[in-house]
Amino acid sequence: MLTISNLNLSYPGYDPLATLSWQINAGDQIALLGRSGTGKSTLLAAIIEGAPEVTKQSERIAYLSQQPALLPWVTVIDNVLLGFKLRGTKHSSDLTQRAVDLLDQVDLGALAYRKTSLLSGGQKARVALARVLIEESDLVLLDEPFSGLDRSTRIQMAGLCQQLLAGKTVILVTHDPRDAQDWLDTAMVLTKDTIKGPYRLNEFGSDRALIQALDGDL
Amino acid sequence: MNRLLQATFPFIGLISLWWLIVFIFDVPHFILPSPERVGWVLVERFPLIASHAITTALEIICGLILGASLGFGVACLIGDSKNLTQLTMPALVISQALPVFAIAPILMLWLGYGFASKLAMTTLIVFFPVTASTLAGFRAIPKSWELTFQTLRPKRAQLFWLIRLPLAIPYALSGVKVAASVAPIGAVVGEWVGSSSGLGYLMLHANGRGQTDLMFAALLVLCVEALVIWSLVNRLANRFDQNPQVIS
Repeated sequence: MLTISNLNLSYPGYDPLATLSWQINAGDQIALLGRSGTGKSTLLAAIIEGAPEVTKQSERIAYLSQQPALLPWVTVIDNVLLGFKLRGTKHSSDLTQRAVDLLDQVDLGALAYRKTSLLSGGQKARVALARVLIEESDLVLLDEPFSGLDRSTRIQMAGLCQQLLAGKTVILVTHDPRDAQDWLDTAMVLTKDTIKGPYRLNEFGSDRALIQALDGDL
Repeated sequence: MNRLLQATFPFIGLISLWWLIVFIFDVPHFILPSPERVGWVLVERFPLIASHAITTALEIICGLILGASLGFGVACLIGDSKNLTQLTMPALVISQALPVFAIAPILMLWLGYGFASKLAMTTLIVFFPVTASTLAGFRAIPKSWELTFQTLRPKRAQLFWLIRLPLAIPYALSGVKVAASVAPIGAVVGEWVGSSSGLGYLMLHANGRGQTDLMFAALLVLCVEALVIWSLVNRLANRFDQNPQVIS
C-alpha cells in the first residue's frame, strides 16, 4: 500500500532527524507516536506531496489535521463537498444526499446548512471527518486531529473514527497514546534516530512505559 | 455620543493649545494666525477653498481606487507563484523606496501639470501597501491547510478563486486602510511640484502672498478631508472584513 525507503526527515538548519524506511500494508491502522520535533508531520507531508522516497498504490489520500481547514464563510455541507467544488465537479442530488447522510452519521445532519463559523471546535472536527469520508480515499492520514478538543469530544471522535474508517488504511500521528488506544491496536514510535515498532498500544498503559518508548528505550 | 466626544476631544484639545500659544506668546498672525482668524478665512473664502478641496479629494479618491486595484491585481497575478513574487519584489520595493518628491518632476514632465500627474503620484504611493499586504495574505495560509487542499486534488483556478483569494482579502483590506492614510501625501506633493488647483497648490499660493491664515485654513481642510476619506475607507473595509460571505 505504502512504502517509504530511506526518507530523511531532517530540516536544513535544524538537528538531524531519522532516515526511515517503513512499509504499511492495505488496511493497516497504525498510531505513529513520537515527541514533538521528531518529524511526524514532515513524514505525512512527504507522503501527501509525493516525495520520491515514497511509493504508494493509490493517489487518493485524505488528510485531517488539528486545524480542520474548513472555510468559515460557507455552510457545513459546502465544506463537506469542498473537494468536488475544487475539482470543478458538478453537484448531483445523489452527492448532496450522501453529504447529508455522512453529516447524519457524525451527528451534524441538523446543521448541514448552517454557516461553518458558527460551529464549536468539536463540531468542526466532525465536519472535517465527514469531508474525509466523502472523498472515499484509501489512505487516511490523521495529524493530531483531536488536539485542542476536550476529553469527552476526543472519545466521541475516536468512536466515530473506529466506526467510519473501518477497512481503510490509517496513520494517526499523535503524541498522546490515549487518542489512539480507544480505537487502534498498533503503534510505531518515531524518535530522532529511527522508527521502532510495532508495539501493542496497551503496552503504553503507564506514563513510564510511554516515556521509555518515546525515548526509544522500550 | 461617547464616540462623538472621543473623536472631537483631540481636535478641541489641539485648537485650544493653538489658541493658548498665540495668546500667551503674542505670535504675529503672519507666523501663526489665531484659530478664530483661520475660522473667519474659512467662512469668508469658502467657495475658493471648497473648489480646491474638491480637486484634492478627487485626486485622493481616484488614486486610492486605481492604486488599490492595481496593487491587488498585481498581487493576484504574482501571488500564486513564489518564483514570480521573488522576481518582481525588488521592483515593487523600489517603487516604494524612491521618495515621491524625487519622482514628481518626472511625472510632471511625462503627464503634464493637470490631474493625471497627481493621480499617478497617489496611485504610486497607494500601490505598494496594498500589494505587500495582499501578498502576505497569499503566504499566510497554514501548511496544514495547504496539505489538506492538496489531498482534495484541486484545479489551480478553483483553488485560487474559492480559497486563496478569499483568504487573502482581509490582508488586502488592511493594506487599503494603510494606503488610505498615505494617499493624501501623493496628491499634495504632486500639487506642490506643479499644478493650478488643489489644496497643496492653494497653500503654496497663499504662502507666496503672505496669507498665512489662508494657508492654515487650507491645511485644516486637508486634515479634515484626509480624516473623512480614511474613516470611510476603514468603515468600508471593516464591513467587508466582518462579513466574509460577501467575499466568498
